[in-house]
Amino acid sequence: MAYSRVASLLAFVLLLAVPALSGMFTAYQLGLYLIFGLVGQGIALCWGRAGFLPLGQALFFGIGAYIAGAALKGADGNVFMLVPLLAVAVAVPALLAALVGLLVFNRQIGSGPYFSLITLALTMLGFQLANSADTITGGFNGMTGIPGLPGIDSFGNLYFVIVGVLAVVSLGLYWLLKTPFGVLLSATAQNEERLQFFGFNTSALKAAAFGISAGLAGLAGALYAPHQGIVTPQSVGFLLSAEFVIWTAVGGRASIAGPVIGAVVIGFLASELRDAFRYWEAVIGLIFIVTVLKFPQGLVGLAGALPGWFSDAARRPSRRRDVAAPPHRSDDAPSLVFDSVGVRIGPVRILDGLSLRIDKPGIHAIIGPNGAGKTSAFNAMTGRLPLTAGNIAWHGHSLAGLKPYQVARRDISRKFQVPSVFADLTVDENLDIALWANRIGLAALFSMRPHAWRSDLFEALAERFVFLKDGGTTAGALSLGQRQMLDFSMTYLTEARLVLLDEPCAGLSTGETAQMIEAIAAINASIGSTAIIIEHDMRVVERLSDHVFVMHQGRLLAEGNIAAVRADPEVQAVYSGGTK
Amino acid sequence: MDLILTNGMNLVYAVATLALIALGLAVVFGLLGVMNMAHGEFVMLGAFSVYVTQEAGLPILAAVPLALGVCGIVGYCVEWSIVRHLYSRPFDTLLATWGLSILMRKIVEVSFGRDYKSIDQVLPGTVDLFGIAYPSYRLVLLAVIAGFFGLLFIWYRRSNTGARIKAMVSNPPLAAAVGIDTARLARMTFVFGVCTAGLAGVALAPLVRVEPYMGIDYLLSSFFILVVGGLGSLEGLLIGSTVIGGTDAVISTLFAKTSGYMAVLLISILFLWLRPDGLFSRR
Amino acid sequence: MDRRLFIKLAASTAAMSAVPAVGAALAADPIKVGVLLPQSGPGGLFGPSCENATNLAVAEINGAGGILGRMIEPIFADVGGPPSDANQAALKLWKGEKVDAFIGMHDSAVRGALTNLFKGQVPYIYTPVYEGGECAAGTYVLGETPAQQLEPVIPWMAANKGASKWYLIGNDYNWPRDTNTAAKGYIEASGGTIVGEEYLPFTADNFDSNLAKIKSSGADAVLITLVGGASVGFNRAFASFGLPDSVVRLGTLIEENTLAGIGAENSKNLYSSAGYFAAIDTPAATAFSKAYHGKFGADAAALNTLGESCYEGMKLLQALAEKAGSLDVADLENAADGTSYDGPRGRATMSERHVSRDVFLAEADGAGFKVVEVFPAVSAGKNCQ
Repeated sequence: MAYSRVASLLAFVLLLAVPALSGMFTAYQLGLYLIFGLVGQGIALCWGRAGFLPLGQALFFGIGAYIAGAALKGADGNVFMLVPLLAVAVAVPALLAALVGLLVFNRQIGSGPYFSLITLALTMLGFQLANSADTITGGFNGMTGIPGLPGIDSFGNLYFVIVGVLAVVSLGLYWLLKTPFGVLLSATAQNEERLQFFGFNTSALKAAAFGISAGLAGLAGALYAPHQGIVTPQSVGFLLSAEFVIWTAVGGRASIAGPVIGAVVIGFLASELRDAFRYWEAVIGLIFIVTVLKFPQGLVGLAGALPGWFSDAARRPSRRRDVAAPPHRSDDAPSLVFDSVGVRIGPVRILDGLSLRIDKPGIHAIIGPNGAGKTSAFNAMTGRLPLTAGNIAWHGHSLAGLKPYQVARRDISRKFQVPSVFADLTVDENLDIALWANRIGLAALFSMRPHAWRSDLFEALAERFVFLKDGGTTAGALSLGQRQMLDFSMTYLTEARLVLLDEPCAGLSTGETAQMIEAIAAINASIGSTAIIIEHDMRVVERLSDHVFVMHQGRLLAEGNIAAVRADPEVQAVYSGGTK
Repeated sequence: MDLILTNGMNLVYAVATLALIALGLAVVFGLLGVMNMAHGEFVMLGAFSVYVTQEAGLPILAAVPLALGVCGIVGYCVEWSIVRHLYSRPFDTLLATWGLSILMRKIVEVSFGRDYKSIDQVLPGTVDLFGIAYPSYRLVLLAVIAGFFGLLFIWYRRSNTGARIKAMVSNPPLAAAVGIDTARLARMTFVFGVCTAGLAGVALAPLVRVEPYMGIDYLLSSFFILVVGGLGSLEGLLIGSTVIGGTDAVISTLFAKTSGYMAVLLISILFLWLRPDGLFSRR
Repeated sequence: MDRRLFIKLAASTAAMSAVPAVGAALAADPIKVGVLLPQSGPGGLFGPSCENATNLAVAEINGAGGILGRMIEPIFADVGGPPSDANQAALKLWKGEKVDAFIGMHDSAVRGALTNLFKGQVPYIYTPVYEGGECAAGTYVLGETPAQQLEPVIPWMAANKGASKWYLIGNDYNWPRDTNTAAKGYIEASGGTIVGEEYLPFTADNFDSNLAKIKSSGADAVLITLVGGASVGFNRAFASFGLPDSVVRLGTLIEENTLAGIGAENSKNLYSSAGYFAAIDTPAATAFSKAYHGKFGADAAALNTLGESCYEGMKLLQALAEKAGSLDVADLENAADGTSYDGPRGRATMSERHVSRDVFLAEADGAGFKVVEVFPAVSAGKNCQ
């Protein structure tokens, strides 16, 4: 940690010294690569952190450059006119990208190639428009004769402006990635759906990241226009977009400095090779293939792989938590109604007129043979499966048609059967995300205070599961049992009024199962939540629940206390087996 | 009337050649999930095969085995050295094959030069077709493409290989468990895909410009077709070609070629956004 | 951040800037000329012929005692990429290598970047065919303008080929648009009409809808301002529909490479207007072509108007420098008007930083060109607003 801070400071000082050491010409050349590196930093934010790859970043770079170019030409040295116009050069790409991101991500969960291809097609469209709209953009020949920033020599001290912007942006990104927003971005890349079940609108998070990256591209474009004095459609083009991604990949897609290093190294390499070797592009192509195959984390990752260079990630002590998380719970009695719910996929009726009602707190159990529709009932409640008939109402409001994060925001928390924790995040960060769920506001997303949040339940869980105190451990390094317990803790930390637990003891040893049963009973009672638990193991059901629903073939077969249900002849007929 | 017939024939021709060009990518992207950015370069290899056979004084048909051989060997080596390591990393495949496309262009440029290669017309002249003069080679090509797709359709439906590819795609671990050598099958599928791209290059060489950089146009139109048609079915491929070719032809005829191009881009964006699985989706 | 990388980076930037300190130029010091040509990108096709032509000009000039008694040393740089790359390359030659003058053969976007970079502080000769309108101080333009290529040619086509109904087709960018704007005036003046005008994106590879439109427009002549691959594809498709029998084609950038791509059997009734063709049979042109192939071999990159223009660029530099007695832009500016030299294209005379010169109209004859008409000393038109 300390080391990389020293290295960054050193790098910054070295950058400032380049004009004195190597002359203004090298500085001018380096300035361009640093500008490109800024765009790469935005790509790395999306790709390395949030897990989606924007392929058309030149579109935003070019828009920023054209607006800045027009502003510089139009303002004619008038600073009061120029400053707001340059802000527009950053804001327009940022807002455009955020809008595109919202529209696309809202329809498509996950980080598949479709988003990337859309950005690619958009940049091609942008190129064609820039080329055809020659009255505005100057067409293929470009917008020419763009003056420098007032009082700043494009071949001289503009370099220092660029380095200054780069330093501010790098610090800003460093800070951003530490904020809850940054942590949530990483969580999105790892398990977007799980994050939705904590009530986070991941499409908005991703759209925001995309907007920020486009804003950076626009900012880079606004520096490019005075630096080059000309903006041409190539600045919006597909090839430049691809190059941005190449530089980012070669430098390091997951780091702040990586994209800049990539742009500078490839930039100088290309500039040297270009004169020495006619087929220099083949060398770049080869470097690129090798990087992707052998060093997916790029040059920075290569450095990080050397022992002792980046040792900060290994083990960090648990954080101090001394700020009470905002109170959240309410003590209303629950009211959940399934009214003839039907779910059908193709010809298969997964739920077929399921009706049930829960209006008392405590732990309710759903049992039933395999394929009875138990997990599907949870899925239908939480926006994972669309209803084809009936309705599900929670406190009088229908849950039908809501997205998972909207359901979670109505105070419903869910744990999946397979432990789903954010494997690359630390235990602390995992717990943070659960504490933030339904509590964190927009402003707090960009503040460091929520990292210190605690709650009484948090203390209680940490006493019960002691490994939670070792908060610096990476969640992926935990045992299966520990991951189940972490996932369980996270599910309850939201202090939701309704908690859905899908086989919480799956995969646990006998000892761990006992510990888990004890924990469910005690924790649920301590916060007065309502829980619904899907369970196969009747011993678990017996210990935890006095109200059991039996499902069969997508319908409710029987309900009541465990003895009554056992005595039911219908249940006996279809459901053989009290124990596993 | 003549104009309508000409435009109609042109549309059929555009759809057929687009489908032929996109077929290789449909196999590689649709079945294996590999976004092969070097797809167009395999088309280019096919076209250069025609140039090589022409320079050797051989007829164009001799280019077919040559293109199959070259694309097969290159495809095999590429799958073995690059693609197989990246099946689970779609973005990385995209980037690695992008690097590969640069490399392939440059190697061909070093070997054959940068200039346009003139391919002799095959079956020059036009045929009188219901009163319009239509190029003879195009008509023959249309028949060949129709036959080729017909055979492919039957083979894919009936043969064991088709079933095994489908099994591998829908459930790789299960396919491996029932004894399908998925690694080999994936390699063969990749090689098959790039070989069809090479064949498309052979077929089109007498009609288009032939030079090391010709590939990029074919890559982009192929992507748009797959996006609209959906991945993994021949019907989808034909539908996608019809939508893309039809949009371009109609808008270009009514307005201008630039509008046609932008309309294709817009349609692709809309499909990627609203119907990412395409019109013909198996999911 | 990685320390080693930084050290490496610092070392490489230091090495790049380690330019030997240049004292006061001695008379015997060579004149360094930065030659900016495309070796990559779409224009890369013309890099080799331009490089050869430059080297030939340098060898001839140096063999005859150089310019102002100093030898010429050409330094080549690839400007086939976007303007920002070209800026870097030019700056490296200008500030790093301290070149005394530039000769550029590249697209207009790069020219815009370079005139903005040089701001008239270093002489810059722009050689290729272009849309006209460049008027920056210290920038001297050799290439054919639309006025030169079309003003005499369109009436000739009307008189000799019966071209009256013109269809204008080009790629969607400045050069075709500006060329067609000029063409419209000449067509109307020759009594012809415009029956269609269309611009295609660079990515176009299917020309069927355009051909159908040309056919239904009843055009008897097509003015082609498509470039490179698009021109090849269009002309091949044009011929495959049997259109050459009834429609005559005129191109203003169909040079030897494009014609080779179009192919002998597709080139019937195809005309090209340019300042240079390899087939020009004047003594100067044949001597040049002989020297070119003598020096670089029979298989050397085919001669064409763009490649040859680099030879002319060096000749113009010599003529300008010797008339001005220096390579200072101020001196050159004073001397430029009226400067003339003789090259393979014939005599060129400078006015308004452009040259008036002979224009050749050639007809495709199989895989080569045959000059059918020479229009002597055509003016470049009005280029300074």
